[in-house]
Amino acid sequence: MTVVDQAVTEPFAAEKTPDRAFGEPRRWGDFPLHASLFFIGLAISMPIFVAFFTSFTPLGQILADSNSIWSPPWTLRNYVTAWTATPFGRFMVNSFIQTGVITIAQVLFSILAAFAFAVFRFPGRSALFALVLGSLMVPFELTFIPNFVLISNLGWANTYQGLTVPFLASAFGVFMLRQFFMSLPRDLYDAAKIDGASDWYYLWRVAVPLSRGAIAAFTIFSFLGAWNQYLWPLVITNEETMRTAQIGIRFFLVNQERATDWGAIMAGAVIVMLPTLLVFLVAQKQLVKGIAMTGLKG
Amino acid sequence: MAEVVAERRKHLPVKKDAPPRRRRRHWRAYLYLFPTLVIIGAFVYYPIVESFRLSLNRVAPFGGTEIFVGLDNYTRLLTSAEFWNNVEVSMWFMVGAVPVGIALAVAIALLLSYPVRRLAWAHRMLIFVPVVISSAVAGVLFRWLYNPVVGHINTWLEFFGIQGPQWLTSRTWALFAVTVAVVWRQLGFNVIIALAGLQQIDESYYEAAKVDGAGVWDRIRYITLPLLSPTLFFLVVVNVIISLQAFGEIDILTQGGPGQATENLVYSVFVDAFVGTRLRGFASAQAFLLALMIIAVSFIQFRGFRKRVHYQ
Repeated sequence: MTVVDQAVTEPFAAEKTPDRAFGEPRRWGDFPLHASLFFIGLAISMPIFVAFFTSFTPLGQILADSNSIWSPPWTLRNYVTAWTATPFGRFMVNSFIQTGVITIAQVLFSILAAFAFAVFRFPGRSALFALVLGSLMVPFELTFIPNFVLISNLGWANTYQGLTVPFLASAFGVFMLRQFFMSLPRDLYDAAKIDGASDWYYLWRVAVPLSRGAIAAFTIFSFLGAWNQYLWPLVITNEETMRTAQIGIRFFLVNQERATDWGAIMAGAVIVMLPTLLVFLVAQKQLVKGIAMTGLKG
Repeated sequence: MAEVVAERRKHLPVKKDAPPRRRRRHWRAYLYLFPTLVIIGAFVYYPIVESFRLSLNRVAPFGGTEIFVGLDNYTRLLTSAEFWNNVEVSMWFMVGAVPVGIALAVAIALLLSYPVRRLAWAHRMLIFVPVVISSAVAGVLFRWLYNPVVGHINTWLEFFGIQGPQWLTSRTWALFAVTVAVVWRQLGFNVIIALAGLQQIDESYYEAAKVDGAGVWDRIRYITLPLLSPTLFFLVVVNVIISLQAFGEIDILTQGGPGQATENLVYSVFVDAFVGTRLRGFASAQAFLLALMIIAVSFIQFRGFRKRVHYQ
C-alpha cells in the first residue's frame, strides 16, 4: 500500500484494446472467451453475491440449506435485525463523519502542499519533498503504538478527533497531485502572474480546474482508504457509540449471542460495503485508471 | 541628499536578484505546506523515534511507568519460540499468497487484454470488484463461506462428494483459509496493474512474432512475460508488503488461532500491545523488526525501479 509505481510517468492506455497475444479476433470465436471471462468474474465476485442473497433470506432457511438463498422467499427482516440489535445507524454515522473529515482534509491539504512543491521555489524544497515521500515507506505497524499513546494522552480516544487527526494529510496525495501540477505549463503561471493574479487565485481558478481528473481520482482513493480503515479505529475506540461500521461488524460477529445470526451479519456486511460498491459502480473508470497510473490504492 | 541615499544603500541587501517580494513568497510556501508537514511530522516521523525509544523500555501496562532495559526486549524476542512462530506464519503467508495471487492475476489479465466486442465492461466489473472491499468485510464474507456446517464452500464440496474440513479451527487448514481470503481481496488490484502492464507492451512485437510464425504460447513466453517483468517485479514487491501487513482478515477469521497457527507478526504486535497484559515496549520491539523488513522490501523496490528489470 505504500509503494509508488513506475507507471506514474507513463500514460495508461485503458481504451486501447488492439490485437493481443492470442491472435485475430473472430466474431464466432469470441464465445469461449466471453464464457471463460464470465465464469472467472462470477467466481471472483461470488462471495459478494453470496452475502447479498444471504442477507435477504430468512435465518431458518439459511441454516437449513444455505443454497436456498438463490431462490425466494426473500425478506428484509435481516436488515431490521442488523439495524436494531446493534447501534448500526450510529456506526454508519460515525463512519461517514470519519470518512468525510479525512477525505476533505486530505484532498484540501494535498492540493495546497502539492501546489507549493510544484510551483514555488523556496529553500529546503527538495529536502521537505523527500521527507513527505519518505513517509510512504513507513509502515503503519511502526507508528500505531506511539500514535495510540499520543492520542490517548491528548484525551482523544473515543472521539472523532482521535479517529481522524492522524490521517488528515496524505503523502500519496501530495505526490500524485504534484505530478499533475508540474505537468501544467510554467508559461500559464507566468501569464497569470503578469495579469496580476495572486498565487491563491491561480491555484483555485486555473490549476485545480485543469487537474479535475487527478483530484477526482485521489478523492476516490482517499474515500475508500478512510472508509475501509480497520486497525486504527479498532484500537482507538472502545466505546460502542464511537465505533465505525467496519468495527461494528467485527463486534457483531464476535458477540456470542449474535454470532450465528448469519442473515443479520450478512445484512450488516452489505450495508458496510454498499458505499464503496456504489463508488465502484459510478467511478470504476477513474478508479481503475488511477490505480494503474499510480500503483496504489487507499 | 545624495549622501543620505548612499548611506541608506549601505543597509540594503546586496543581492540584486532577491527582491523582498521573493522572501514573502517563501514564507507563503511554508504556509501551504504547514498542515501536511505537521501531520506527517507528528504521526509518522515522531512515532518512529518514539517507537524505537519504547522498544528500549519496559512499559507498565497501566499508568505507563517506563523502565529503561536497553536491548532486553529484542533479546527476549529473538529467543522466544513465539516470535519465531510468528515469523514463520508471516513467511508462509507470503509464500502462499504472493506467487499464487500474481500468477492468477496475470492469467486473468491476459484473457482481459484480448479484444472482445461487447460486455468487456461487465467482465471487468465482476473481476475488479474486490478492490473496494475492506479487510473487515472480506473477513466476514469468508467466515460465512468457511462455516463448516452450512457454509457454501463445504456444501459445494459435498456436491462433489468431498467432506470439507473445519477450515478455521483446523491447524492444518486455518492458515490456508486465511491466505485465500487475502489473495481474493488483493486480486482485483493485481489484475488492474497486470492489465495496465500488458497494455503498455507495443503491438509491433506481437506482429513481428506472428510474421515469424510464433504461436500463442511462444508469444506469451518470449514476448509478454519478459516485457511484463517490470510490472511483475512491482507486483511481487507490493504483494510481499501487503502479505506481511495482513491483519483485518486474520482478526475476523481466526484471531490468530487455532493456538497461534495464524498469528503473524502484525497480529502479534496488536495482541501484545492492546490485548491482555499490554506489553507496549515488547510490542514496539516486534513492530520495529517488522518495519525493518517492510522498509527493506520497499527500498529494493525504489532502487529496482530506477534500473528497470527488463524494459522495451
